Amino acid sequence: MTPTPGEPPVRLVTQGLTVRFGGLEALGGVDVTVAAGETVGVIGPNGSGKTTLFNAISGLYQPAAGEIRLEGRPLAGLEPHLIARLGVARTFQASRLCLGLSVFDNVLIGMHARRRTGLVDAVLRRHRLRGEVRACLAEAARLLALFSSGLVDRGFDRVAQLPQIDRRRVEICRALALQPRLLLLDEPSAGMNPEETAELMKDLQVVREAAPDLSLVIIEHDMFVIEGVSQRVVAFNYGRKIAEGTFREVSAHPGVREAYLGKEGGRG
Amino acid sequence: MSPVLLAEAVLFTLVVAALLAERPASLAATGLAGAATAAALGFLPGLRAALTRAFAAHRVPALIGGAVGALLLPFFLRGSPYWTFVATMALMYVTIGQGLNLQIGTAGVVNLAGAAFAGLGGYTVGLLTTAAGWPSWLALLVGPWAALALGALLFVPILKTRGHYLALVTIAFVFIFNTLMNNLEFTGGPQGIKNIPTLRILGHAFTTPPAIFGVRLPAHANFYFLALLMAGLATWIARRLHDSWLGLALNTLRDDEIAARCCGISVTRGKLVAFSVGNFLIGLGGSFYAVMVGFVSPPDFDFGYSLVMLSVIIIGGVDSVAGVVLGACLLVPLPERFRFLHEYRLLLYGVVIVLTLLYRPQGLWPVAVRRYR
Repeated sequence: MTPTPGEPPVRLVTQGLTVRFGGLEALGGVDVTVAAGETVGVIGPNGSGKTTLFNAISGLYQPAAGEIRLEGRPLAGLEPHLIARLGVARTFQASRLCLGLSVFDNVLIGMHARRRTGLVDAVLRRHRLRGEVRACLAEAARLLALFSSGLVDRGFDRVAQLPQIDRRRVEICRALALQPRLLLLDEPSAGMNPEETAELMKDLQVVREAAPDLSLVIIEHDMFVIEGVSQRVVAFNYGRKIAEGTFREVSAHPGVREAYLGKEGGRG
Repeated sequence: MSPVLLAEAVLFTLVVAALLAERPASLAATGLAGAATAAALGFLPGLRAALTRAFAAHRVPALIGGAVGALLLPFFLRGSPYWTFVATMALMYVTIGQGLNLQIGTAGVVNLAGAAFAGLGGYTVGLLTTAAGWPSWLALLVGPWAALALGALLFVPILKTRGHYLALVTIAFVFIFNTLMNNLEFTGGPQGIKNIPTLRILGHAFTTPPAIFGVRLPAHANFYFLALLMAGLATWIARRLHDSWLGLALNTLRDDEIAARCCGISVTRGKLVAFSVGNFLIGLGGSFYAVMVGFVSPPDFDFGYSLVMLSVIIIGGVDSVAGVVLGACLLVPLPERFRFLHEYRLLLYGVVIVLTLLYRPQGLWPVAVRRYR
């Protein structure tokens, strides 16, 4: 795969990616390619393998077969924290923030892997740690300010005190704090009302502009979001990729219509 | 600044009075004064906020004031070797509590084998001094490392189990430790190890009562000052570790292991570091106990003491470094005040824990948000 001039280089490739739970094949031979700076939407009914794909890429599930490569580097078999350090960040469908910690702390977690001070600095050379943490807090404030300046003012509030939309923003900031090459967003609009979803779309646009080289993969049930943000859409059903292309192409694809609506004329 | 020193003076007076009150009348008076202070803090949020602000604004004078009070305490208790000893025990529990809090509170590694790790420190000191003839000070420095090293025996369960299951594994570890100590020849069996020589630093034996500024203090004051140094250091280290990348990473993996891993945090490393550093501090407390008391035996380190250590953390506030100090200083002397209840006084622990969990689960001094100051 030599990058041709003019075309963005390939960021993520999965080839024949297969995940099994006992006898159940959750993902069967999935090939997905994501280019640098591209936004890919992933759709499919419940249980079609979308989140399994994310879990396999981020190392939470071990693939039974197939390959995952980030910029040519194989990821399969690596521990999740190593994959994260290589530049794969993600959010979760159900928020996985530390509710008892402050907003800043939750974002700082994303910078943990990049820290340069260790335990000795923490205890004996406090000025080093303090200097580093100050820089990280400034960076966290910058990330939060991308979405809302109010979040920066609430930086030392516990996340449990924030509304749902702000929690999602904090989670995205935590992922961005890793300075990822690839960001996986697992149904960011889950549990949001239409106004919040509209806000979220703006936020995703902000992410896009702030990190033009970042590759985004987004799982969504809200087709309005998918249509609004993704350049390319991949559709799943029963653990297999059934369609790929622009939103218009995929939504017109008979297999996709069948997966969502059932077979046309199926009841005679 | 003056409100800070005034508050500390009030607290110091209350502590001294609570420890020295003998007759029922004076005991009742101190009890009432203590309850009134607690009620004032509990029901007057304005007062509490003002005090918090004052302490935050004058941290250095507040710390110096606290240190001076702690250093002066043995002079006020000089008539009572017993209470000097109890105060020393409280400081020992501060040290142990900081270690256990790093494990249970910060990292969520539910270690109910605190007594066993203290015992590993204590028995190491006992064996090194009596069987190998080491000087006590050297054994005291090595004991904690033994607790840390033997903690490696639990590395696999620490990584493979969590929550209740880990608690069960560590409980089993205490019983294994006790059974072994009771049955092994070289640890003295049920008799334990007697005649551990006392500490001797620069020719000063810790069994001779010190005279400081011409004031003669009970012999236990020697250990009090050492325990104060030990607890101070443990608290200082615990605080710095808590407000650092380590503390943050441990909190994250405690709250959500999957999120932590996907943020680049190595759960394995985090848990093992927390467990080992914690065991070191717990072992330090146990080693200190051995040199202070001069002998160790299996009942000194049975499961009940694990629960005492756990209650120190719960009452103070899980994950709260300051809470450990408060919890130990309340929970260790308190049952001694109720000696007339004999064995029933241990019920007190149970009652206090149940009440705390029901009505103030965050503890008396809940953990604050990190501000990295």
